Amino acid sequence: MNWILSTFERLWVTALFLAVPILGVWTWVIADRYGWWFPENVSSYGDQIDHLFYVIMWMVAVTFVITEVVLAIVILYFTERKQGRSTYTHGSHKLELIWTAVPALLLVFIAFSQMEAWNDVKIDLPRGVATAEVPYTVDEPIFDVWASQFDWRVRYPDENGNFEGAGVIESPYDIYVPVDTRVVFRLRSRDVLHSFFVPNFRLKQDAVPGMAIPVWFEAQKTGSYDLICAELCGWGHYKMAGRVHVLPKDEYAAWLATARREHRSNGADDLVALGDGDDDDDE
Amino acid sequence: MPMTSSIRTRARALALALSFASLTVAGCKLDPKVPEQRHSLNQAELAKNPDLAGDPQAQATLSGALGMLFGTPAEPAYLRVADWIDDGYDPNLGGYDELTADEWDALVADNEVHFVRQLAAIDAGAFDDVARPLYAVDLWRRWEQHLALLEPDGDEPGMQPDDLLDPDDEKYGTWRDEAKRLFTGFYPTMRETADMYRQQCQHCHGVSGGGDGSTAQFLEPRPRDYRPGIFKFTALKDKSHPRRQDLARTLREGIYTTSMPSFARFSEARIQGLVDYVRLLSRRGETEILLANDFEAYSEDVDSSLALEKIRDTYLFVNDRWPTDDEKVIVVEGEVPEPTPESIARGKQLFLGGEGTGANCASCHGVAGLGNGISATEIDPETEKPVLVKDEWGNPIAPRNLTHGIFRFGRRPIDIYRRIYSGINGTPMPAHIGMQITLDDGTKREIDENDIWDLVHYVQYLGTVDIEPAVKLTANAMAAARAGHDDHDHEHGHGPGQHTHDDDETDDHSHDTQSDGAAVGGH
Repeated sequence: MNWILSTFERLWVTALFLAVPILGVWTWVIADRYGWWFPENVSSYGDQIDHLFYVIMWMVAVTFVITEVVLAIVILYFTERKQGRSTYTHGSHKLELIWTAVPALLLVFIAFSQMEAWNDVKIDLPRGVATAEVPYTVDEPIFDVWASQFDWRVRYPDENGNFEGAGVIESPYDIYVPVDTRVVFRLRSRDVLHSFFVPNFRLKQDAVPGMAIPVWFEAQKTGSYDLICAELCGWGHYKMAGRVHVLPKDEYAAWLATARREHRSNGADDLVALGDGDDDDDE
Repeated sequence: MPMTSSIRTRARALALALSFASLTVAGCKLDPKVPEQRHSLNQAELAKNPDLAGDPQAQATLSGALGMLFGTPAEPAYLRVADWIDDGYDPNLGGYDELTADEWDALVADNEVHFVRQLAAIDAGAFDDVARPLYAVDLWRRWEQHLALLEPDGDEPGMQPDDLLDPDDEKYGTWRDEAKRLFTGFYPTMRETADMYRQQCQHCHGVSGGGDGSTAQFLEPRPRDYRPGIFKFTALKDKSHPRRQDLARTLREGIYTTSMPSFARFSEARIQGLVDYVRLLSRRGETEILLANDFEAYSEDVDSSLALEKIRDTYLFVNDRWPTDDEKVIVVEGEVPEPTPESIARGKQLFLGGEGTGANCASCHGVAGLGNGISATEIDPETEKPVLVKDEWGNPIAPRNLTHGIFRFGRRPIDIYRRIYSGINGTPMPAHIGMQITLDDGTKREIDENDIWDLVHYVQYLGTVDIEPAVKLTANAMAAARAGHDDHDHEHGHGPGQHTHDDDETDDHSHDTQSDGAAVGGH
């Protein structure tokens, strides 16, 4: 086999390898225009998460471009141009030290710079007594989310905060929360691992069978946001969707009151009274 | 020599790359061929009717009749009999015809959410960007026809988006208004819903709704077989067929802790369309079962006009069985009663009371509500071992463990009330309203609404109790029951009831038997 490349082939291979960083950067540049980038952040800690993402992304991006360009240069200039004996080298101790120490320092930097975000998002949960500023605490979650194959059920406590018993409201798919409020809920699973993922909140938390994991977020903009399962949980994983509806505080209170009233329905709202209301025969 | 071999290698690589490329192109152009689906006859009914099973001619007649009445999986359609045409009744329109004005408004509002991108594209005039929705062949055909109005027709210039669609008819707005109305007023046709059913429902519920799809055998409980026309969860009394609203509710809410998930991610129009299709499959199955059981009516020796009349009568009979009004809906007067300690205590008494003295709940649900009552199992005549009783579809069914606090039909008090009031269709759970009971003092009376509320409150209470004491209570009760019933299978050394007077010894002798669980709990 003859591995000597002609000049044309060498240029061609170099261009091929150069295309990787060029296409990669280009994809990043146009991503936002095509909606391939992050969805809108509406949660209080979303900026922290995004900031961490960007810090790491820039580190990786710069390293990526440099290594790819160096690779292309090496291909262009140092490809063997004639057949002959190989030469051997024991490597460079200095270089090895550098490429070990630099990533190690970067890792230490990441480890320390993420601590605040981790603390704020996962550890510093509102505990103790609920106040006007923090209406819900770990001890007083606003609702439970039960994951199971293949849907999300949200369980709202009764007026006294009980999660069991007659006044508990349970519904699939739709979760209603107040805006600008620290919402704490407990995440549970009935069967296997699931993951509660709301991209707009930058919130992702695994649901583990046997555990009631406290999760919190504070949505700062009203609207309806997608909830998806981010842990492959079985054949119906793809259909395990939901919606988180962020309502203005007064609307949330009104919704909760309506939900509680409907929960105590005497069945009359299931009547349909089929009339001939639908008379527009524009078929 | 090296040069030629290198050229050969390159030529070979090039040929290989070209053939891969051409295969890819050809592969993309190929339309995947979906095998045509057909309804099959209900095998369980065939097994029950050996005459029909041995008569291919009659089977063909039956299949043909069902095809005529209900269409095929690809083109489902009810046959409209002459009376229906005269009355203007068309079951193929389904909810389009049956929804109330309020329900229709909610459906349109939901369409506006689900077609938000299409509507925005129409507003922006970017008609090529209007994305084709899933399961919408007929909608898309209408959209393309509508779009064609903008194209010039010979010398005639095309329409402008803001031109009135029909200046002579005030009913129509501009072209753009009508374009948006195609999407906001979308109600799926039977064919579109059949497409959706094929992708979303069929793998469990089967082509003909027999609950025999490819994933069905892995599920517990098994998916519903629509063909007998029995649906467990309705808001109705008297084991009535479900209303449109009952089926829609099941689709929206799912059935918790079963494999039936919530389909709330689909629009209201889709859910209503699925209701139409499930009802079609169910009516088809009912018609089939009735006809299969009346095989003589259309076998070879019967005049074909008589046979046709029989088929038509059955078709109409089944159609009339499906309620379209609220007559059977269970509603309570005034406010729903709140649970009180007294009502829970009364409920407990009824719950534990046996047949004739109470509501007899404990016989299946167990004294502690764990779903392990004495009537939950029956003795299998072949193996002489206890097995779970079967429901009307022939699947083993376990009574609900009420201590889990999971209620499949919903946890509103009225939902639990309705379940106790009218029972669960197709299962051993009976209707309790009007059940005769004899009180301790000898007076006879019927279970009334207040009794059912007491039971509801007790059942709700059971869902909140700590399971540990409940397990012990049941274990004790079972030990007592074992002590009471004496040994009936002496010849089997490991029988559950052998040394019942000494619990500890029983444990040692009875591994692998169902007394294990109770005995462990008893320690």
